[in-house]
Amino acid sequence: MKASRALPPCDAHLHVASSYSLRYGVAHPRILAERASSMGIEVLALTDRDGLYGAVKHVQACHQLNVGSAVGCDLALTGEAGRVVLLASGRRGWASLCRLVSAAHLSGERGTPEITRELVARHADGLVALLGPASDVGRALAARRPDLAAARLRAWQSVTDAVVEVVDHFTVGGHHQALRAMRLATETGAQAVLSNEVRYLEPEDAAVAQVLDATRRLSPLEGRYLQHLGEQGYLKSAERMTAVAERVCGPDRDAARRLIETTRAVARRCVLDPAADLGMGDVHLPEAADDAPIRLYQRCEAGLARRGLAGDGAAIRRLGEELAIIERKGYCSYFLTVADVADLIRSHGIRCAIRGSGAGSLVNYLLGISDIDPLANDLLMERFMSDHRKGLPDIDLDVESARRLDAYRAIRERYGDERFACVSMMETYRARSAIRDVGGAIGLPPHEIDTIAKAFPHIRARQIRASLDDLPELRGSGLAQGALAALFRLAERLDGLPRHIALHPCGLLLSNATLRDRTPVERSMLEFPMSQFDKDDVEEMGLIKLDVLGVRMQSAMAHTLDEIDRTGGGRIDLEKIPFDDAETYRMIEESRTLGCFQIESPGQRDLVSRLKPACFDDIVVDISLFRPGPVNSDMVTPFIDTRNGRRKGTYASPRLEPILRDTGGVVVFHEQVIKIIHKMTACGPDFAEGVRRRLENDVSKEEIRDWFFQVAGLNADRETVERVWGVLAAFGAFGFCKAHATAFAVPTYQSSWLKRHHTAAFYAGVLTHDPGMYPKRAIVDDARHFGVPILPLDVNASARVWHVERTADGAEGIRVALSEVKGISDAEVGRIEAGRPYGSLADLWHRAGVSRPVVENIVLVGGFDGLHDVGGAGPSRRDLLARVGALDRAGRRAARPGADGSSQLPLGFVEQVMDGELPEMSPADRIEVELDILGIDVTGHVLDFYSELLEELGVVRARDLGELEHGEEVLVAGVKVATQTPAVRSGQRVIFATLDDSTGLADLTFFESVQAASAATVFGSWLMVARGHARRTGGRLVTLRATGAWDLPELEEIRRRDGVEALHAAVRPAPPDETGVGGTRLEYANGYRLSPYSDINPAGGAVRHAPRRLWHASGGSSGGWLPAAPSRRRRR
Amino acid sequence: MSRVYGEPIEVFVNDEGRPVRFVWRGRLYTVRRVIEHWVTTREWWRQENADPETSTEREFWRVAAGPGLGAVYELRRDAATGDWLLARMWD
Repeated sequence: MKASRALPPCDAHLHVASSYSLRYGVAHPRILAERASSMGIEVLALTDRDGLYGAVKHVQACHQLNVGSAVGCDLALTGEAGRVVLLASGRRGWASLCRLVSAAHLSGERGTPEITRELVARHADGLVALLGPASDVGRALAARRPDLAAARLRAWQSVTDAVVEVVDHFTVGGHHQALRAMRLATETGAQAVLSNEVRYLEPEDAAVAQVLDATRRLSPLEGRYLQHLGEQGYLKSAERMTAVAERVCGPDRDAARRLIETTRAVARRCVLDPAADLGMGDVHLPEAADDAPIRLYQRCEAGLARRGLAGDGAAIRRLGEELAIIERKGYCSYFLTVADVADLIRSHGIRCAIRGSGAGSLVNYLLGISDIDPLANDLLMERFMSDHRKGLPDIDLDVESARRLDAYRAIRERYGDERFACVSMMETYRARSAIRDVGGAIGLPPHEIDTIAKAFPHIRARQIRASLDDLPELRGSGLAQGALAALFRLAERLDGLPRHIALHPCGLLLSNATLRDRTPVERSMLEFPMSQFDKDDVEEMGLIKLDVLGVRMQSAMAHTLDEIDRTGGGRIDLEKIPFDDAETYRMIEESRTLGCFQIESPGQRDLVSRLKPACFDDIVVDISLFRPGPVNSDMVTPFIDTRNGRRKGTYASPRLEPILRDTGGVVVFHEQVIKIIHKMTACGPDFAEGVRRRLENDVSKEEIRDWFFQVAGLNADRETVERVWGVLAAFGAFGFCKAHATAFAVPTYQSSWLKRHHTAAFYAGVLTHDPGMYPKRAIVDDARHFGVPILPLDVNASARVWHVERTADGAEGIRVALSEVKGISDAEVGRIEAGRPYGSLADLWHRAGVSRPVVENIVLVGGFDGLHDVGGAGPSRRDLLARVGALDRAGRRAARPGADGSSQLPLGFVEQVMDGELPEMSPADRIEVELDILGIDVTGHVLDFYSELLEELGVVRARDLGELEHGEEVLVAGVKVATQTPAVRSGQRVIFATLDDSTGLADLTFFESVQAASAATVFGSWLMVARGHARRTGGRLVTLRATGAWDLPELEEIRRRDGVEALHAAVRPAPPDETGVGGTRLEYANGYRLSPYSDINPAGGAVRHAPRRLWHASGGSSGGWLPAAPSRRRRR
Repeated sequence: MSRVYGEPIEVFVNDEGRPVRFVWRGRLYTVRRVIEHWVTTREWWRQENADPETSTEREFWRVAAGPGLGAVYELRRDAATGDWLLARMWD
């Protein structure tokens, strides 16, 4: 034992899986690097399975912590022949590794990359293969075939640098396997290295690894898998690794020494330099000709003329400044590339708009990347790009969501796969997904898992147990009791682990021909080449990330414009509509903004009713103010008061007046912060932007404070400086980028203008592309309030999408789309559309090839009413259902002839179904099937079922809320169309709920004191009655401070069972319960507190869809008849 | 032949956790040689009040030990509790 101290420390880990080995590794690369650093490990390799997803984070962390970083990949051999680790050595090794990983993903099934020795041979330059227990060599050893193992080892050596990897996890037989590997190395003269096949940080994490194994294999935990695992696969210290070497080599000290020395030597050879080997710190732009600056200048000059700015002194000066920065930074080709992409997208007829700070750049405006004039809108370029900012400026483009992939295809085609890739993102475990996966691993029944998971809001996994105590809707659930404790404890440990990789919603990479040497690429679900790096990684790697985001509102507006054109209104250019239309602003002020971009939420409807926007700038301000910061610092009230002349604007210094005059003395925009800093210190807007960024963080804010007092003090008295600093300190972090708000305000105004002037077409667009937060049935209800008739489904009139259709009396209505029918496939929609018109139900049955359940659904919601004069002289819908059955039976007879090849009945014979035997559906029945099949109550409102009860309770309808006095207590009822828990200043978890009662919307606020009694109902019910006090905040909109909520069908049950007195007793407000919502509030320096449960999607299913059959439990429907469940078997 | 016992025993270990002596049925046994050492994992998720955060390992030591001629013993240690069992013996 004494001699062991003479052995060198085995201070290199060559085989380490992080949590980026999906459903395999447990520890984040950063955590591993930190542990390695604290243990004095010299070289740490990251060798994740199947990809280099964590490589950039690993290299960065190691670099910061002074640990040598190596990168490899643990890849599967084709034909389940084991796994091999390939480590990169040097710059060429890194490029080879990237290309090998990409090739592995290209050759296997999507998601199961695999390699062969031949494939490795093609990318072998600078790679080192580790042949461990899981490799084909190791398997031969385990099978006691040293001859075969030696042959395979030789085969690997002929392809690349290959070493034998020795592992001992102290498992049964593991020691013998290690001895065999040592012997193989000795006998063949190959090098042997020691590794620990690390999967987790500490022995205690082994259970998490086991659960991940179970979720990866999709089978519950089984003892037989575990016998071989143990818990030795943790990141061991150098001393412990040396002890493993001793254990493997036994009394042979020299062998142990050799093993350790070889391990360290191989590790050193594989240490990568972030700059020299990975190319970090450089920018790798697409290839550009030398004349890029000249071409950029020429395009901008042409832009000046096109935008009518030729000879405009301010514009020319600004252009000069911007071009100087762009040229200094060497980004000319970047701007040309983005301009090229924007042109390309538009040339495919796809709407494309700029988003974010890029709207502040004149160059973007002149190149046609943006349609916003930064000079006219008072936007600064510095917020977007400055000498002090590191890295490429972000230019983000919004395109129509429905055509986003068309845009990607066009860009891919233009740049080619060598230069183009999409950015990926890691979906990580959160509470619900962790409970589902752990529940499956420990063998809980699937329906139980589902119920448990859905009980939780969309919180982080690590909040699970705390939330059981904190949240009123969970406190009474009984989930906290006993049996599930282990499930929750383990689910919490999956918190934040990567679960699967997905296409980033907007990030694209454009680079030069070396792109595939710099990033591994795999296929996305949609077969796009997708980088294994996320958006932060690609930035570190110096690759251009261009954000091309699909925006549903852009699609909705595109559809609206098409519909206007189709119905004879001509082609409208949305960029050229008047931005001063009084009628549009009046509609916004009246809060009739459902469906409009950015201003449809309850909070925004409230804000616009107070703010009364009267011009485009007001919308810009509105969007900037509607953020947790400004709303909660109560910047809104002074702004409105000043604006309405109730208060004079006050300024910390008269010098700030020109900057803040337009916003009533309130700091609303980042641009104003920049100007204030520049005004007070004369530091230049460029430097001021850097200062502004440091104001966002409490620590750096203190650092900047001294500088500000010193410099601003040269030019102003101490008191003024203090006052101005007070403004900066309070609002500096809260302001909003005006360029960003302006970019948002454009579609906000455009969509509002379309709603006001082309109402029916606008609803067709919104219902087809579903851009907002409300369920479609609420939008349909809103359309009715705007006098747009809803035309029911009709097989001869309905199309794939919602269309405008003129009704008999000349009004513009909207026709329900075929794609709304439950269960209908895309192909079925296409066939129905193509085969129109149909002469009868049988005609459609024979020609359109639509499955029986779908045809039945169409019958039930009246899709054949017009064709067969249902409700007039024709059959009833139930008669038509019977015909569907007959057609189906006839079809099956024809398909299955009798034994003698002939059928009992002549071919094409259909039984005669007598009409009029089955009674027609009642109006209530119709609404029920509409909700079930379309999710939209087309012919009436679901609340109509409960009219007696609502009358009994004296419920106030939404349209009458405006008449209430402040503080008046009322009952309201309706269908829940939205619940939100946004961040509010007090740190409470406040629930905002919106009910729709066919006359309009009722907005309710539930504070914590009433949540003990009502949270479960608000989240769990679809139809509800609520009690509340009217709240007037200055605008037209009256909201309710709720004191209770009850499930409407349950109340109906009480009314019928126990009578009206019991009903009235049931809706009495519960006494306030101050338990509230638990959890530690996050406190900000300015007193702003944040509940850990704010701003998350609440418990239960999505609000956007009617729950199946929940309303049916009520007796409100006439006898509860439902169509005699026809056979739901598929036709084929 | 092999016999299965599963009886609790008291084990003395050296600094590295290696068993050197153990007491079984009132007799002292001295470990002469470690033949094999390995670990397995118990099925923690099947147990009442399963706590995945504590160690789930079981450590096995197969040793030659004895008073007199000696025999082969398999000692088992539960990492969570630190308790030792005599799992099996061969004589």
